[in-house]
Amino acid sequence: MQHVASWAKPLLFLVGLIAVWQYGISFTSVPSYVLPLPSDIFARFVDTFAVQLHHLGFTAMTTLIGLTIALGFGVLLALLVIYVPAIKGIVLPFLAAFNGIPKIAIAPLFIIWFGLGIESKILLAFLLALFPIFVNSLSGLGEIETDMLDLSKLSGGSAFRIFFKVRLMNALPYIADALKVAFPLALVGSIVGEFIGGNRGIGYLILSAQFTMDTALVFAALLSITVFTSLGIGAVALFERLFLKWRPSRRSR
Amino acid sequence: MLHLAEQEDVGAQARPSGDQAPTIVEIAALTKKFESVLAVDELSFRIRENEFVSIVGPSGCGKSTLLRMISGLVTTTSGTIRVRGEVVSRPIQDVGMVFQSPVLLPWRTTLGNILFVAEMRGLSARHYRERAQTLMETAGLGGFENSYPYELSGGMQQRVAICRALLLDPSIILMDEPFGALDIITRERMAFELQRIWSSSRNTVLFVTHSISEAVLLSDTVIVMTDRPGRISEIVEIDLPRPRDTDTLTAHRFIELSATVRSNITVGWGD
Repeated sequence: MQHVASWAKPLLFLVGLIAVWQYGISFTSVPSYVLPLPSDIFARFVDTFAVQLHHLGFTAMTTLIGLTIALGFGVLLALLVIYVPAIKGIVLPFLAAFNGIPKIAIAPLFIIWFGLGIESKILLAFLLALFPIFVNSLSGLGEIETDMLDLSKLSGGSAFRIFFKVRLMNALPYIADALKVAFPLALVGSIVGEFIGGNRGIGYLILSAQFTMDTALVFAALLSITVFTSLGIGAVALFERLFLKWRPSRRSR
Repeated sequence: MLHLAEQEDVGAQARPSGDQAPTIVEIAALTKKFESVLAVDELSFRIRENEFVSIVGPSGCGKSTLLRMISGLVTTTSGTIRVRGEVVSRPIQDVGMVFQSPVLLPWRTTLGNILFVAEMRGLSARHYRERAQTLMETAGLGGFENSYPYELSGGMQQRVAICRALLLDPSIILMDEPFGALDIITRERMAFELQRIWSSSRNTVLFVTHSISEAVLLSDTVIVMTDRPGRISEIVEIDLPRPRDTDTLTAHRFIELSATVRSNITVGWGD
């Protein structure tokens, strides 16, 4: 079994699972609106492909915009805390406390404040993605060996040069890790925003499908979301493989 | 071996008359206190240009602190440090430094790491590429230009660090126990490598170590420091002929000098 590719085993397992699902359900009394057959799901998926793409496109846009703003803001805030240590005592506990509040609970408030449009979705995506990006940026930008900083100073390096050539490069693996967590979180933010109000997005689609008991469509939409998330994380992984070969966890021996 | 002309404090030192080399580093009554701990106490000595000077002492005697004060990275409590006649008050520019750990940037190749110091100074890396290549060849790193630090052994990484310190041909090179993290065999080999690399450029070197044999082998002068608070116990001139090789290690004079250094370190032990 060692010569089989690493992805073959989970794939085999998945196929087995789907087979059991498809053929085993008829032996149970589970109705189709609770658990539809994989064949039905697939048919529905193909049927609604264009519609899904349209809605997913909207969600993807709000997610990525929110994520990008969180990236910029998170990195800048981390830099601020590093260069102005005095504010660390304020920013960190405040952010941690704020992060403890389930954004899902605040979401209705945002709808009231910012309306049902695109802004509230982007804001929610941003707020969920911010914390992991900030925390990891703080580590990556700040945890530089003192000797390296000393060396840079002795070499006449300005704070600007030290930032670009030392801190930022050191932070890249940390930020890449943060993105793998922040991206799905931003997506949750967008979708929750769509659940609460609005008429676009994959979240809205799932909600509509639920209202009409179109469970197959719900599953189809979930499948689309899974594909989207995998693409996103895959993109980060690709970036790592191309540019971050040197990080300790990625070395081939 | 010359004895110090002793005055009230052991740190005062008299250079032999007839010595022509100009002074590059001058330390006068240097004291450093961290909170309530006195690290170094009234150090005074001079270092001549192109000299290889070792500072030997037990752990905690303040030798690393001394090095960092000379570089300007650490402020003094009292006393003065002059480099080329100018008082040191902040990190000085014309200095190369090697630490106990290589401190290489993991995302840069060997060449990239050596050129780092030029880039930090805002100089064109391309301009220094040839010099970097030459240094690499001299240091035995030929063929490893494009290797990443994780692909190199500890000894090789330290060689990269040494090349990096030499790239801009600084007038002073500070080395803080650079071979401390290496095994003894590699350590000895690196000492000979260092001598070889150094002998062509002959920059002034200040070399901190707790290895007596390393100090005597490499240096023109050995400054022996006492336990904390660090004071100068003795300054030992090493008159062994250069180049020094493995035979030197068993020469009578080497053993004599090592014994002198050792006796000055162990002064006060076992009372």
